[in-house]
Amino acid sequence: MAKITVDGETFEVPDNSMLLPVLLDRGLQVPHYCYHPKLSIDGSCRMCLVKVEGLPKLTISCNTPVRDGMVVDTRGPEVTKARQGVLELLLVNHPLDCPICDQAGECYLQDYAFEYGRRAARTQEPRRKLLKRVDVGPRVVLDQERCILCRRCVRFCKEITETRELGVFNLGDQSVVDIFPDEPLANDYSINTADICPVGALLSKDFHHKMRVWFLDETESVCPNCSNGCNIKIGAARGDVYRFLPRRNDEVNDTWMCDAGRLGYRFVNEHRLREPRVRRANASAVTSWDEALHEAANRLGDLVRRGEPSALATIVSPHLTNEELFTLGQLIGGGLRSTQHDVAVITGAADDFLIKAEKAANARGAHDLGLGAGANGTTIASIRDGITAGTIRGLLVTGTDVWDLWGSEAAAILARLEVLVVVAPNAHPLVDLAHVALPGLTFAEKNGTFTNHAGRVQRIHRALDPGSQPSDGEVFLQLGRRLGMEVAPGVFEPRRIFTEIARQVPAYNALNWDALGNLGALTTDG
Amino acid sequence: MDTIGPLAILRGLAVTTTHFFRNLFGFIRGKPTIFTVQYPEELQKVSSAFRGMPVLVQMPNGKERCVACGLCEWACPVDCITIYPAETEEDIERYPDVFDIDMSRCMFCGLCEEACPEEAIVMSQRVAIATTDWRGSVWHKQDLLTPAAELETRLTHIRRGYERAATPTVPAVRDKP
Repeated sequence: MAKITVDGETFEVPDNSMLLPVLLDRGLQVPHYCYHPKLSIDGSCRMCLVKVEGLPKLTISCNTPVRDGMVVDTRGPEVTKARQGVLELLLVNHPLDCPICDQAGECYLQDYAFEYGRRAARTQEPRRKLLKRVDVGPRVVLDQERCILCRRCVRFCKEITETRELGVFNLGDQSVVDIFPDEPLANDYSINTADICPVGALLSKDFHHKMRVWFLDETESVCPNCSNGCNIKIGAARGDVYRFLPRRNDEVNDTWMCDAGRLGYRFVNEHRLREPRVRRANASAVTSWDEALHEAANRLGDLVRRGEPSALATIVSPHLTNEELFTLGQLIGGGLRSTQHDVAVITGAADDFLIKAEKAANARGAHDLGLGAGANGTTIASIRDGITAGTIRGLLVTGTDVWDLWGSEAAAILARLEVLVVVAPNAHPLVDLAHVALPGLTFAEKNGTFTNHAGRVQRIHRALDPGSQPSDGEVFLQLGRRLGMEVAPGVFEPRRIFTEIARQVPAYNALNWDALGNLGALTTDG
Repeated sequence: MDTIGPLAILRGLAVTTTHFFRNLFGFIRGKPTIFTVQYPEELQKVSSAFRGMPVLVQMPNGKERCVACGLCEWACPVDCITIYPAETEEDIERYPDVFDIDMSRCMFCGLCEEACPEEAIVMSQRVAIATTDWRGSVWHKQDLLTPAAELETRLTHIRRGYERAATPTVPAVRDKP
């Protein structure tokens, strides 16, 4: 440990660390552009200048190792004046694009210009004209005029993705960030360059000119699109989700997330089911929740009452939270008295960084809670065979992933069923086939937990208000009660159910809802 | 002054009678001295500082000057402005696809005009916002577009304001220590 004095305050810091991260960890406001905790040190922006006693000149804190007895000044007049000078030079050629720039509102240049900038420019020369709206890749757009050449994006492509698409071309004041000819910035993590860009030079095409960032309400959550469970912030406004941003969690995703996950938010906004439907004599009609639940319980319960619970099976959605899955488990065991269930997980491409093969957030959770195959020998395939053979006549489906798993035969298989009850958040051909279709909620409208592939249990928070629409868990609870499931009275309350999970599932014994925090906690299996 | 009793009534009658005859002779001489404005044929003359309903400034090419930056929407204390931005191929790449002002909520404070970096939304001298239903009180972009020429007085007025605001409040960096 080294003892350093900053602005008159003495504290201990670990040896071998650089000064800037130490200052930022203390909550000191040191302006910086090129420094990023997960990238190598570049020292190109010169904004993090501080005064260190004993050194002849001001020094950049990002590249100054701490030393025992160091005395640092981060806000004296000398430092402030130097930063003002650096900022003025950065702004010499920066266009006045703020009104049309998506970065406005979360732009480091704006923030520091507010703090250190002059009101008016002292230069009279015309500003440098460079290329605007350069199509550097399928998901990212580049504006060279706005770039301040901090090279975060270049280092990201070199060090994190190791694809090296971006580079700084030309010399001196002709320098520009660009791609090599015919080699677009198309790696699976390309939008991260837009995140780390401190100004509006690199922007996500998907979010381009969609919404001002200051209107977005940011909610901490977990990416629902694969089992890696990258920590995200959901940016929502006017009842719609506009973007996902990665949130730092060194145990899971550092500060990154993949493009596919980031762009997979549309299902929250589009083609949603809002009202339950019941199909009678081939005509499907919107009904009240009460009537639909009654109908679903009646039809499923009919098979149970006839003494044929073995004719019932359940397809479990890996998109549900642990609490909902637990309630679904109670419904299957206590209400349907069935033992046939499996999780329908779509698998896809994976890499050795963040992208995992299971394209759902909570497949691990479903297995941990005993809803997967193996617990009872039933698999998705055996359920399909059972339906084809006529031994399974009633099916409760949560989510719609099974449709893709069964491929082109799905419609024909499902049409053989006597009873098909579907709980799903989005419109889908599978929902159209259902005898009773009950709308579910997406992850953005729920509180709960997901368990990622490595067994890390992480909280998700409600970003959008679903109004009076019940969550999937509430639907399972209501359905179960109508089928005679024995559960404690009360509504579906994730916190209470999580406590119940922690008591009943051995791997979750050590977990506590309040202690999960915003970074999650590992199960004992993980 | 004695304001009670029959004398007060006579005093009052004297005032109205005086005005009646002054107006009558004024009409006969062709120089009316009445203060009544014959609305809506005739409009009250107002100062350039008058804040009527906010409108969008239209450029000579028929397009709006607005770039949908959202600052007016943010500044609006009653949240009566709704903007959905979109992208065009033109030089200024951003424009408002939807620009709605709910005039029944607008309180004519002028903060939108003050926030606007493009002189794109200004307070006009129009005040006629009455409609026969609630829906009609939402003005869309096409209703709000007003040629810049019609707004010259107000634009001159707000430009005078910039000069006042340009007095530096942030201390300048000194060249020599």
